[in-house]
Amino acid sequence: MADNLPSEFDVIVIGTGLPESIIAAACSRSGQRVLHLDSRSYYGGNWASFSFSGLLSWLKEYQENSDIVNESPAWQEQIFENEDSIALSRKDKTIQHVEVFCYASQDLHEDVEEAGALQKNHASVTSANPTEGAHSAYLPSEHESCTVSCEMPTEKTPKSDLENSLEINDVEATREKEKHCDDKTCVKSVSEEETSENVLTAEDTSLQSKKNRITYSQIVKEGRRFNIDLVSKLLYSRGLLIDLLIKSNVSRYAEFKNITRILALRDGRVEQVPCSRADVFNSKQLTMVEKRMLMKFLTFCMEYEKHPDEYKAYEETTFSEYLKTQKLTPNLQYFVLHSIAMTSETASNTIDGLKATKNFLHCLGRYGNTPFLFPLYGQGELPQCFCRMCAVFGGIYCLRHSVQCLVVDKESRKCKAIIDQFGQRIISKHFLVEDSYFSENICSHVQYRQISRSVLITDRSVLKADSDQQISILTVPAEETGTFAVRVIELCSSTMTCMKGTYLVHLTCTSSKTAREDLEPIVQKLFTPYTETEIENEENEKPRLLWALYFNMRDSSDVSRNSYNDLPSNVYVCSGPDCGLGNDNAVKLAETLFQQVCPNEDFCPPPPNPEDVIIDGDSLQSEVSESSFIPEANSETPKESTSLGNPEGSSQ
Amino acid sequence: MMAIRELKVCLLGDTGVGKSSIVCRFVQDHFDHNISPTIGASFMTKTVPCGNELHKFLIWDTAGQERFHSLAPMYYRGSAAAVIVYDITKQDSFHTLKKWVKELKEHGPENIVMAIAGNKCDLSDIREVPLKDAKEYAESIGAVVVETSAKNAINIEELFQGISRQIPPLDPHENGNNGAIKLGKQATQASRRCC
Repeated sequence: MADNLPSEFDVIVIGTGLPESIIAAACSRSGQRVLHLDSRSYYGGNWASFSFSGLLSWLKEYQENSDIVNESPAWQEQIFENEDSIALSRKDKTIQHVEVFCYASQDLHEDVEEAGALQKNHASVTSANPTEGAHSAYLPSEHESCTVSCEMPTEKTPKSDLENSLEINDVEATREKEKHCDDKTCVKSVSEEETSENVLTAEDTSLQSKKNRITYSQIVKEGRRFNIDLVSKLLYSRGLLIDLLIKSNVSRYAEFKNITRILALRDGRVEQVPCSRADVFNSKQLTMVEKRMLMKFLTFCMEYEKHPDEYKAYEETTFSEYLKTQKLTPNLQYFVLHSIAMTSETASNTIDGLKATKNFLHCLGRYGNTPFLFPLYGQGELPQCFCRMCAVFGGIYCLRHSVQCLVVDKESRKCKAIIDQFGQRIISKHFLVEDSYFSENICSHVQYRQISRSVLITDRSVLKADSDQQISILTVPAEETGTFAVRVIELCSSTMTCMKGTYLVHLTCTSSKTAREDLEPIVQKLFTPYTETEIENEENEKPRLLWALYFNMRDSSDVSRNSYNDLPSNVYVCSGPDCGLGNDNAVKLAETLFQQVCPNEDFCPPPPNPEDVIIDGDSLQSEVSESSFIPEANSETPKESTSLGNPEGSSQ
Repeated sequence: MMAIRELKVCLLGDTGVGKSSIVCRFVQDHFDHNISPTIGASFMTKTVPCGNELHKFLIWDTAGQERFHSLAPMYYRGSAAAVIVYDITKQDSFHTLKKWVKELKEHGPENIVMAIAGNKCDLSDIREVPLKDAKEYAESIGAVVVETSAKNAINIEELFQGISRQIPPLDPHENGNNGAIKLGKQATQASRRCC
């Protein structure tokens, strides 16, 4: 890297998650000089999405994380007498209890590698630069497949041959586990040779029949088709994030798909929840009476505030109690409570439930039949879109760049600079730091919650439909007290997050135990492990699991700033992802912090109209003012038009 | 009436090889000696005829994110073509060209059209990269190659014509954007209506 970073900024943002990226964009947009850093090799932090091989590398990183040795030059010498320092963490401790299971057959005879975008593979394309290895964020490696074991988490014992091999793998896995894993992160690993031998004997004997089934090597080969999000969220079509994307014009960098179905799981069966007017009328599972009941209730919810008499008496009770008093069958009560208001039996009161129902209905119809949108290529695109906006307005981007410490002036108790991994001191006025970068000294009093996550690759949808390109959300209510409702989002290949013929399923809930303990019961209800036996003969219509991942993620949202020890007033904490479905928390946080950094400034206003921009150089000036402005003009100007995106208002 | 096809083109190459100058010359037929490192321009557009179609190029600039090797993968999404630029007076910039191609292979869409531009060919007296090397390399990866000068307006039009010719004809089965939703367009209407 020939370039050195400039040594002075107005705002330094550490971490490229969604809130940090929005703040960086907002600050840059209002003329602040922004440096945006991330110690990782990819954008998004815990908001990132990965190709399949990228995800395997990410898992490996967590496995090896504990061994990081501090090789950077000592920064302590650089701290002057009138200064204090706050060391930042070098280790990410936000991910725990990682467990991976592969059910698809692993044909390890072939040397499997992720296929590149361009089919020609040339040996001449070699590294000219020693830093190149670190440079590529999603570098595929043929050895990665060995971090995954072929193991059955279920107690059920399959057929003999298979059982044999799996048992052996189990033992190997345990042995390896003892060797490699600390108590926090555990990726079960089996050495490649052992796995291949054991699995293949089983395969060779019984199962060559099914050619059309998806194997593990196909998943690896098509790994680029996957964009696997670490957080699973949707955008409410009238939520704060959609409004912000439109207002700031960042929306031009992304495309979205409408969620097509709201599903419910009742008595072990998955069914579609009718929520729009059209759905209700077309529904086959509702009786005429139910249709009328539901429409009447939903119409009331749309403007419930106007009819306080209807709910006043129930303000103190739970929403589910209130629903029982309405003219609704148990069926309908279930739909409204769990699938529309998406709340639980016990958690929310009548007002909250009505508010949530109204919000849901309010979002219907803006872009489609459900209230939700999902970004093509995954949620991980969104931080990148805001980062691009920041860069367009002059923000400087540097991944793989860690910060050793914050330098604090003893007298003013304000932070004045950072010292980076190369020992460079970079001055700034404001410092926004994502929670995971703080060391234990700073967070010793912080009480974090945890999010339980699971990512599954399956071979068909949980609910068969005419089209195989459905995007569905399913809420499974908590089964017992002390546990939480589980949100299931199933993505099809047209969302550009998984390969054709597969579905990517995300499960999320507030943790009560480890991710696997929290989520496996639901996984078992909805799916059946992929086995090589003739499953078509059975009545079992459940989709089959090809691959599964469980992990816990730290939820640092809603942590009071005061719980962090001794933070200077110009150091602001950005939290990681929360457990909620929408992104309102991230937007609210970003706006609040932005207002503290830049009081009285507009938050991400629309880009300036080129006609208002003054750029040095006469010829350019006239060209620009004649040009049309992209977003509106896009579809309407067939004539040859030259248009400049959004020149920075204050340049030069 | 001719159909308009929007084609996203992303620019790649080291800082200072003249990526923005090439776009500026192509779109505005303008060259600025003191062009500051890319600030403010998100993307520029220009429409050119190609056979029975009009190709509307949406040319994305790196916005400086390449400077510290931090280009976001979203930059490549949906690109029909990539222009990879090196400076014929700087051997280093030709070396790193290969690195950008590798990055494209990892993050770029399949079947992306690649065009290599050896910029600053007006400075051929201090040339470090022989055209032959570039041609051989381009051939090995199936890319279009041309030496350009944004300053003297040499081969800039030709570069984009070359790309146009490589763009496969529209597949009638793939109806453009696959039903994806673009937020801005509907939204402006919606917000007008309600406020």
